[in-house]
Amino acid sequence: MPDKLSFSKTFRALEDAISITQQRHTLIASNVSNLDTPGFRAKDIDFKTAMARALESGPELNLARTSPKHIDLGMDAAHRIEPIEEEGEYDGINWVNIDNEMRKLTENKLMYRTAVEVLLRKIAILKEVIREGGR
Amino acid sequence: MNFLVSFEISASGLTAQRKRMDIIAGNLANIETTRTEKGGPYRRKMVVMSTKQPARDFDDILSFKVEGVQIDDIVEDKTPFKQVFNPAHPDANEEGYLLKPNVDLIVETTNMLIARRTFEANIAAIKAARQMALKALEIGR
Repeated sequence: MPDKLSFSKTFRALEDAISITQQRHTLIASNVSNLDTPGFRAKDIDFKTAMARALESGPELNLARTSPKHIDLGMDAAHRIEPIEEEGEYDGINWVNIDNEMRKLTENKLMYRTAVEVLLRKIAILKEVIREGGR
Repeated sequence: MNFLVSFEISASGLTAQRKRMDIIAGNLANIETTRTEKGGPYRRKMVVMSTKQPARDFDDILSFKVEGVQIDDIVEDKTPFKQVFNPAHPDANEEGYLLKPNVDLIVETTNMLIARRTFEANIAAIKAARQMALKALEIGR
């Protein structure tokens, strides 16, 4: 989001929330696919901690890319999340629990949709202001 | 695009479970097989799964590690064959006992159910990713 244009911090916060939930989904998908892998430990991101860190860290710390050939280091706040290994019950094969993963999947999907929905409303408000202000 | 990684991971789960299903089907089909290429009755086969790194770009490697799944190995069940008294069978030994495959119908059926449910769980993950991606497309509409 262009910071100079920032209508509020909402955009940035929502962007972080979407990015975090998206990464969390990848982790959950990985846990589900490894339901039968011996010795596998489920990994997860704590949304609250990740979100708090993203909000604290302020503007992105990305390196300047002056050429399209430069590599995007992906150093922004949301990227620096370290997944944690979940404490789970050992079921004789590994530490992944299907019920827990499905709960997380649903929960995470809802969080993502909520963030996108709020973003949509925010844009709708801006559109409204622009339209009405121009009259 | 992060969603493509999730799709790939869930797809690896689908592939692994489908292959597992193939092995189970093979076990069930050979439940009465007493002659094999190696000689002796059929030995029950099992799959061993391991984590697999999805194909990713440099950016993803710098962020965190997510793993898909793959069938690492197909191994034979070492449990002894079942002995059935059946002197009429051409493969029975001198005492009239026939060695039958160590395939247990109940075990195979249970594994089949688990494979099916795990397959469905992976599909649920794909559906969730799809819904999320579609929702994101609504931004700016």
